[in-house]
Amino acid sequence: MSARRDAMRTRLALSFGKVTLIMLLALGCLVFAMPVYTSFAMSLKTPSELATTAAWSWPKQPTWANYEEVLSNPSVNFFRLFWNTVTISTLGTIGTVLSASLVAYAFAKMNFSGRDRLFAVLLSTMMLPAIVTMIPTYILFKELHWVNTMLPLTVPAFFGGGAFNIFLLRQFFMGIPKELDEAAKIEGAGHWTIYSRVVMPLSGSALATVGVFCFIYNWRDFMGPLIYLNDPQLQTLETGLATYNSLRAEQWHLLMAGSILVTIPLIVIFFLGQRYFVKGISMTGLK
Amino acid sequence: MRRFVLLLTTLALVAGMAMLPTSARAAVELRLVVWDGDESLRVLQQVTRDFERAHPGIKVRLENVDYRYFFQRLLTQIAGNSAPDVAMLDPQNMQMFAKRGTLLPLDPLIAETPDFRLEEYYEPIVSVHRWEGTLYVLPRDIAPIGLIYYNKRLFREAGLAEPDGSWTWDFEPRPELGSRCFTHVMSRLTRRDAGGKVRQWGFAPSWTGAFTDTVVFSQGARYVDDPEAFDRMNFTDPRVVRAFDFVASLANEKKWMPSQSELTSVVQSTAVDLFISQRVAMYQCGIWDVPKIRKALQPGSPDFFEWDITLAPGYKDPVTGTVSRAAPTGGSGYGVLASTRYPKEAWLLTQWMAGEPGMRAMAKAGIAQPAIKRLAQGEDWIPGPNTPLEQRYPANRIVTDVAAQQVVFPPTADYWMEVSGLVFSKTEPIYLGTATAEEALTEGQRIASTRLETILKEEALPPFDWRIGGVAGFALLAATIAWVYGPELRKKRSSAQRLENRLSLLFLSPWILGTLFFAVGPMIFSLLMSFSKWDIIQAADYRGLGNYNEALFQDPRFWTTVKVTGVYTLVSVPLGMVFALALALLLNTKVRGMPIYRTFFYLPALASAVASALIWRKIFQPEGGLLNAALFGSDGRGDLFGVASWLAPGGELPNWLGDERLALPSLIIMSLWGVGGSMVILLAGLQGIPDYYYEAATLDGAGIWSKFRVVTLPLVSPSLFFTLITGVIGSLQVFTQAFVMTQGGPNDSTRFYMLHLYDQSFGSLRMGYASALAWLLFVAVFVATRLQWRLNKYVYYEGAA
Repeated sequence: MSARRDAMRTRLALSFGKVTLIMLLALGCLVFAMPVYTSFAMSLKTPSELATTAAWSWPKQPTWANYEEVLSNPSVNFFRLFWNTVTISTLGTIGTVLSASLVAYAFAKMNFSGRDRLFAVLLSTMMLPAIVTMIPTYILFKELHWVNTMLPLTVPAFFGGGAFNIFLLRQFFMGIPKELDEAAKIEGAGHWTIYSRVVMPLSGSALATVGVFCFIYNWRDFMGPLIYLNDPQLQTLETGLATYNSLRAEQWHLLMAGSILVTIPLIVIFFLGQRYFVKGISMTGLK
Repeated sequence: MRRFVLLLTTLALVAGMAMLPTSARAAVELRLVVWDGDESLRVLQQVTRDFERAHPGIKVRLENVDYRYFFQRLLTQIAGNSAPDVAMLDPQNMQMFAKRGTLLPLDPLIAETPDFRLEEYYEPIVSVHRWEGTLYVLPRDIAPIGLIYYNKRLFREAGLAEPDGSWTWDFEPRPELGSRCFTHVMSRLTRRDAGGKVRQWGFAPSWTGAFTDTVVFSQGARYVDDPEAFDRMNFTDPRVVRAFDFVASLANEKKWMPSQSELTSVVQSTAVDLFISQRVAMYQCGIWDVPKIRKALQPGSPDFFEWDITLAPGYKDPVTGTVSRAAPTGGSGYGVLASTRYPKEAWLLTQWMAGEPGMRAMAKAGIAQPAIKRLAQGEDWIPGPNTPLEQRYPANRIVTDVAAQQVVFPPTADYWMEVSGLVFSKTEPIYLGTATAEEALTEGQRIASTRLETILKEEALPPFDWRIGGVAGFALLAATIAWVYGPELRKKRSSAQRLENRLSLLFLSPWILGTLFFAVGPMIFSLLMSFSKWDIIQAADYRGLGNYNEALFQDPRFWTTVKVTGVYTLVSVPLGMVFALALALLLNTKVRGMPIYRTFFYLPALASAVASALIWRKIFQPEGGLLNAALFGSDGRGDLFGVASWLAPGGELPNWLGDERLALPSLIIMSLWGVGGSMVILLAGLQGIPDYYYEAATLDGAGIWSKFRVVTLPLVSPSLFFTLITGVIGSLQVFTQAFVMTQGGPNDSTRFYMLHLYDQSFGSLRMGYASALAWLLFVAVFVATRLQWRLNKYVYYEGAA
C-alpha cells in the first residue's frame, strides 16, 4: 500500500518537474523568438502601416508584397546574391572543418616539442583587432590579384580556419578518452588513422558545431565581401540587402522581408545540424 | 573517410578555379561609388545607363556602399592602390581627400569644357566644396535641414493660420504675433490629456542637435572661427549657451517638443513617423523625407491628412529688429580620383551625374534638390499643372530655393568631426536635463581645445624607414620562433620524439602556412605602424614611442574607454557563462520536441543584427518600452519586486539607453541575449557526457546538486574554459553593440575601447595611433588570457596527451 503511494508520489513529482521544464522551455521560446517574430510581422506590413503601428503588432492585412519586391528588384538581384553567398559559405565551411580539425588534432593528441608555446601563438592571433590589419591584408590580396574575386573570402579557410575553431575542436578532442587512441596505437595505427578513424568519427557533435558556426559566420559576414568584392554581381546577401538599410533612407518593409529570407536558410541549417550535436554521445558511450 | 576528404578537396579546388576572374573588359570601364539607398540607386542606375548610351565605348560600374562604411572602404582601396574612378563625396569628408592629393582639381577640367557653366549652381554648395580656392567636388544636390513639415489639419483645428515662412522664433512665446511666432505656434499645437501627459507635441526636430544649430546659426553665432581651418571654437559664446538651454527647456520643462531620448527611442526612424502618425504637428528636416511621407499618406487612404512644407523660422534681433535666417544643411557631389586611368572619361561621367541629366532624374523622383538653381526652380522639382497627383505634395516646394540660400555647412576642416565629438558627448546631459549648458559647454570646450592643440601641433618627423622596419619585423618573427622552440633545443630528444615532431608539422602545416601567408605580415605591419604617424593615404612618418605616450598620458578618452570596457568584460563574461550553462542544461533534458526548442533558443544568434538592434531599442524605450512595462506596469505606476522604486526614486520612467548610469548595464543585459553561441558549445559538451557516469553517481546515492558538481562540471569544464577564454578575448574587443545602439553615448558611458580605436583609425585618419591602441589592447588581452590559463589545471581533460 505505502509502496504504491510512494511510487505515485514519485510519478507525480516527476510529472511536476516535467511540467515546470516544459513551461520554462516554452517561456524561453517566446522570449528568444522575439527578433525573428518581429521582423516577420514587420515584413508583412505596408510601409504606411509600419510607420503608424507598434513594431510587434500583427499586421491588420498581411501582405506578401514586400517579399515580391525584394525577390524581383532588378537593382539588387536576390537570386544572384543568394547563390554567391551559398558558394562562399559552403567553401568556407568545408575548408575550416577540414583544416581546423587537422591542426586541432595535433594540439590535442600529439606530443611535439614547443606545443604549448605554439598554442599561445595560435591564441594570440585572435587578440589583435582586425581594423588595424585590414589595410595590409587588403594590399596583400591586391598583390595576389585576388581582389574582386571570392578567393580572399574562401581560400584562408583552408589554411587553418581560424584560431577560434581550432581551439574549440582541440577542447573537444582532448575530451576523447586516451584509452581509445592508445588501443589503436597498440594495434599499429598511426596518427593519420587515429585522426580519421577514431577522433573524427567520435567528434560528430564538435564538428557539427564548428561547421554550423562557420557557415553562419560566413553567411553573415559583411566586412569581407564589402571590402573585397567590387562588382555588384559578386555581392553577397548581407552586403546586397544593406541597400535597403542606407542611412536616413531605411526601407524597413523591404529590409525586414529581406532579413527573413536571409535567416530562413540559417534556421534550416541549424535545425539539421543540431541533430549531429547529439550524435557524440551514443559513440563515446561505447567505451 | 579518406575518399571523402579527397572528394571535398577536389570539389573545393574546382570551385576555386571557377571563381577566378574571366570577364573580358570593355574599352573603358569606370567605377563609380555612391552611398545612396535602394530608391535613389534605381534612379542612378537609369542615369548611368543613359550615360553609356550617350557615350558608347564607356562602361560604368555602379557600386553602392552605405555611408556608415563608405569611407572605410574607400580609404582601404586607396591605400591598396585600387580606388574607384569617381566617388560620391560630401563637404564633411572632401577635405581629407583633397588635402592629400587624392582628388583631381576640377577647375582645369571646367576650363577645358566651354559649355559647362558652374555659375548655374547654388553658390554656397560650390564654395563649400573648394579647398584653398580649388574645386574638388562637383555638387549634385543641396539638402538644407531648414524646412518645417506641417500638418494643415492640426493648424486648422488649433485656429492658427498656416505659416508662410516669414515667422520668427523667440525664447518666450509671443502670443501677440499669432502664427508669426514659431514658439507660440509650438505651444498652441501641443495637446495634453486629462492627466497632463503630452498627447501631441507642437514640434519635433529630426535631430535635436540640428534644431540647436538652427537656433545658434540664426542668432548669427558660429561654432568655429574659420570653417576650413579653424584653431578656435566658440562653444562658450553666450548665444550658443542660450541656444542649448532653450532647446533643452522646450523638451524638458515646456514639453512642447519630444526630448532627445523620446526621439531616439522611437525606432522606425524618428520625427517623420511621429508626424505621419499625427503625434507631432510639425517637424524640422530636409527634403529627403518627402518620398516616405508620400508613400505613407496616399490621398484617399484613412491615414491621409493635408500637409506641406515651409521655411524654418528666423530670429528677430530684439535691439535692431532685423530678422536673420540660417539653417544647417547637408549636400553631396562627385569627385574624380587622381589615380584614375581615364581622367577625361571620369570627368564626362561626373558632369553627367552632377549635371542636368543626373539632377533632373533625382528631382523627378523627389529624392534630391538639384544643385543647379535653374533646375531647382523648374517643373521637375517644383509642382506645376503637369505634375501627377501623387507628386503634388508638398505643394510649397519653392521654399527650398530660398532655404538653399540661407544654409550653414558644418566646418569642412578634417579634424572637426573628432574635436566636435568631444564637445557633443558633453552636451547630451544638457538635453537630458542633468547639466546646465554653461558647465557642460565650458567643460567640453576645455577638453576639445586641448585636443585641438595636440592635433594642430606640427611635429617635424622623419619619414618611416622601411629597411629598418623590415629588419625589425624579421627580428620579431625570429624572436617568436626562438621563444617557442628555444627551451626545446636543450632537451634531449628520442628518435620517437623526433618522428612525432616531424609528423606534427604535417598536421600543423595548413595553419602554419596560412599564418605565415595571411596573418604574420599584416600583424607585423600594424606593429611597425604603431611607431609611426600614418594617415592611410600618404607615406608614413616615424614617431617613435609618441603614439604610446599619447595614449597613456595625453588622450582624454583613453582611460575612460579602458574603464568602460573593463567593467563590461568583468560583468558580462561571468554572467553570460552562467546564463549559457543554465540554458544548455535546460536544453540537455529529455523532452519531446527538443530539436525545435533548441532552434528557438538559438534564434537570436541567427536573426539579422538590424532586427535585433531594432527590438532592443524598443525594449529599452522609456515610454511604451517592454522593459519598463514589465517593471512599472503599463500605467507606469507599478513596482515589480521594488525594483522600480529603486531604479527611479523620482517616479520618472528610467531611460535605459539614454541615462549614463543605465546605458552600460543595458548593453550588458543585451549581451546575455547573444549567448546562443556559448550555449551551443556547452550543449555539445554536455552531450558528450556518457549516461553511465550519471547512473554510477545515482547508485552512489548522489543528489542532483552533487551529480552536477562531480559529473557535469568536470566533464563540461573544457567547454566552459573555452567559453571563458574566448569570451574575454571577444568582450575586450566589443564594438558592434555600442556602434549600433549608442555610438558611445551618453556622455561616453558606453564608449568602448574599440569604438575609440575605430574613430581614430578610419574616422580621424590616424592609423598609426590606432595601431598603437590596438597593440596596447593586444598586450592587455594576452596578459588576461595568460592569467586565466592558470585555471587550465582545474580543467578535466579525459584524453589529455
